[in-house]
Amino acid sequence: MNAPAPAIETRQLRKLYDGKAAVDGLDLVVPAGSFFGFLGPNGAGKTTTIRMLAGLALPSSGEIRLLGQPLGADVKRQVGVVPDQSLLFDHLTGAEFLEFAGRLYGLARAVARERAGELLCLFELDGAGGKLIADYSKGMRKRLEMAAALIHRPRLFLLDEPFEGVDTAGARLMKKLLEEQVRAGATVFLTSHVLEVVERLCDRVAVIHEGKLVLEGEMAALAGGRRTLEDVFVSVVGLERPAPAPRWLSE
Amino acid sequence: MGAASAILWAEWRCRRNAARGRGRLGRLLFAASALLWYGGWAAGAALLGWYVAHASAPEPARLLSQALLFVFLYWQLIPVLTATPGAAPDLGRLLVYPLSASRLFRLELLLRLSAAPEMPLVVAGAAAGLLAHPGAPVWGVAAPALFAGMNLLLAAGIRSLLGRLLARRYVREVLFLLLVLAAGLPQLLVAGGGLEVLRRWLAAPSPRWSPWGAAGTAAFGGGFEPWAILAGWSAAAWLGGRRVFARSLWAGQRAAGASSGRPDAESRWRRATRLVALLLPDPAAALVEKELLSLSRSARFRLVFVMGFSFGLLVWLPLLLEEGAAGQSWRVVEPLTLVSAYALLLLGEVTFWNAFGMDRGGAQSYFVSPVPARAVIQSKNAAAILAVLAEVSLIALVCALLGLPVSARRLGEAYGVGLVLALYLLAAGNLTSVHYARAADPRAPWRSASGRRFQALLAFLYPLLAAPVLAAYLARRLADSEAAFYSVLAAVFVLGAWLYRCSLERAGVALARRSEQMLAALRESAGPVLS
Repeated sequence: MNAPAPAIETRQLRKLYDGKAAVDGLDLVVPAGSFFGFLGPNGAGKTTTIRMLAGLALPSSGEIRLLGQPLGADVKRQVGVVPDQSLLFDHLTGAEFLEFAGRLYGLARAVARERAGELLCLFELDGAGGKLIADYSKGMRKRLEMAAALIHRPRLFLLDEPFEGVDTAGARLMKKLLEEQVRAGATVFLTSHVLEVVERLCDRVAVIHEGKLVLEGEMAALAGGRRTLEDVFVSVVGLERPAPAPRWLSE
Repeated sequence: MGAASAILWAEWRCRRNAARGRGRLGRLLFAASALLWYGGWAAGAALLGWYVAHASAPEPARLLSQALLFVFLYWQLIPVLTATPGAAPDLGRLLVYPLSASRLFRLELLLRLSAAPEMPLVVAGAAAGLLAHPGAPVWGVAAPALFAGMNLLLAAGIRSLLGRLLARRYVREVLFLLLVLAAGLPQLLVAGGGLEVLRRWLAAPSPRWSPWGAAGTAAFGGGFEPWAILAGWSAAAWLGGRRVFARSLWAGQRAAGASSGRPDAESRWRRATRLVALLLPDPAAALVEKELLSLSRSARFRLVFVMGFSFGLLVWLPLLLEEGAAGQSWRVVEPLTLVSAYALLLLGEVTFWNAFGMDRGGAQSYFVSPVPARAVIQSKNAAAILAVLAEVSLIALVCALLGLPVSARRLGEAYGVGLVLALYLLAAGNLTSVHYARAADPRAPWRSASGRRFQALLAFLYPLLAAPVLAAYLARRLADSEAAFYSVLAAVFVLGAWLYRCSLERAGVALARRSEQMLAALRESAGPVLS
């Protein structure tokens, strides 16, 4: 029996902005069924990478394969995305947006509607399902985006800071759901600056720095015992503040 | 005033950075038009000063009062004009900084001053005239200065009050519509003999109790009473303006999660949009339904849509009435068609030229989902066509209610021309929507999302795109035949369909290729005070 294709595979992926590389020759393989943490300091190229994987940005060069296929409509049907910036339509209600998203991913209207209702309950948004998204708080918006990413039961999740702005209960629920999805065979690829969360959830991590992959491996091999993921991260990318703080700030 | 100057500096930098995008020619044109405008006002102010200085009694006091009345009207109208379209600064965004309400109020006063810099010019001209007048005391110059201060305070209060009122559902649209309808006022004044009433009112001496009347009298040393009246007005404006401003500042900060009083999820309109699924399969149906819901909930769209069958009719009403009285059809263009075509132009920016503008970040949904770019554009076009058909139907309905002539032939022409014109507008609009996408605030009814260069392009595009339809009318006139008209209309329809198809292909490819630039443009916002 053949081994399943990697959930994500990039070859020499590059993205240039004004001639400067935001992502510089990224070779990445994310095994199917893994909970993959994609880390890096601010401006390292994480969001650019995830936007290219999600089809929100075009690579300058290189190749992307998701679930063994080139990026296109067929594979998008099996991917759930929570991007860095909200993809919600302010003038739809939460329920309407979920139904809309489900139908775009090929669900029948009735199914999309039913699932929308269930997801609103699950994410404790059922009281707000009839409200316009413009009236949602940041946390509610994130919950709704996660619900939209789940509605078509994708095999791959691309999540950029999915827990940002979400309260403890909401974040806990989201983590639990994602763990269940991974146990059921899905792959989660997420970025987060909260390394404790990544360390607890992910079985593999990669670190990108200045557009280049500087570390990739199994969590168990990288961090464990007295060595935390934060130690590993700092040793790879260095401290974020090389210059000393101004005197007025440290006094 | 350190914080205030920092905010003004940041606002100015944001505008300057935005102006850099205009290009050299654009900047030059902008500078030339500003010079012309403010130069004109400065010349007017100098002329007023000269008149005040040289007029003999009792003329100067009356002249000054009238000039100050004009200043009053202009200064108080500006907040209404800017706040209603949604272009007013939002000082609530500065509440995160350590600025007291009174500091923010002072900042608001500075913004009021910068919103109508023409008026300080006029007041300065009047003051200079007063100083040069032999009969006016030197301290009389304090009267127009006090009057200007009162106006500033009053304008701040009015703008704050408006801000609060305009946050309510439909109020902004209704007020803006009234303002637009007021554009027809001169016509009505001329027709109804109102001009003579207005002239007599202006010629009469200003009421003593009015701020402009009091200021005019006080400037020429009119005793204690006018000063007391002017001081009273100023104190009232200061107290009222401050109070209303402070209340509005926090009233505008609605809690996240609080409802804006909008939809019930299963309204009749919501159910009506579901009928689209009877005609189209998913995902097209889902996209069209979304578009119809979003458009109908956007103040910007609602306003232009309502304007089509209200303002549009008002503009062309003389033609329609003339035809109704004559009892015969207008030979070349049916007035009903004319109103419909005009309504299409009003719908332009929202439905044709910048179709993705109000989606903003939501546009990402189209790229992450497995929907072809072409289908997204087509669904937007389908919603636009439905809007056009609804608009023409409403215009016909209003005409029928007003007893104006509406027949099957006229309706057929209005629908036919409307659809053909829409086809050409869509053909061009699909390309501009992708290549010149701009974030548009759905809550701001009239703030244009397009740059000046694009507006100039539109001035060229509209006649070009209307030319095929005009060709049909030319055929009707030359051949004096309905058959000629409809034959040419059918031919240009076929040509339009071909053009539409070509542009759809190109726009689809461009949408996929330019996703990043487009999404970046849809996320753009302005300075620290303007949203």
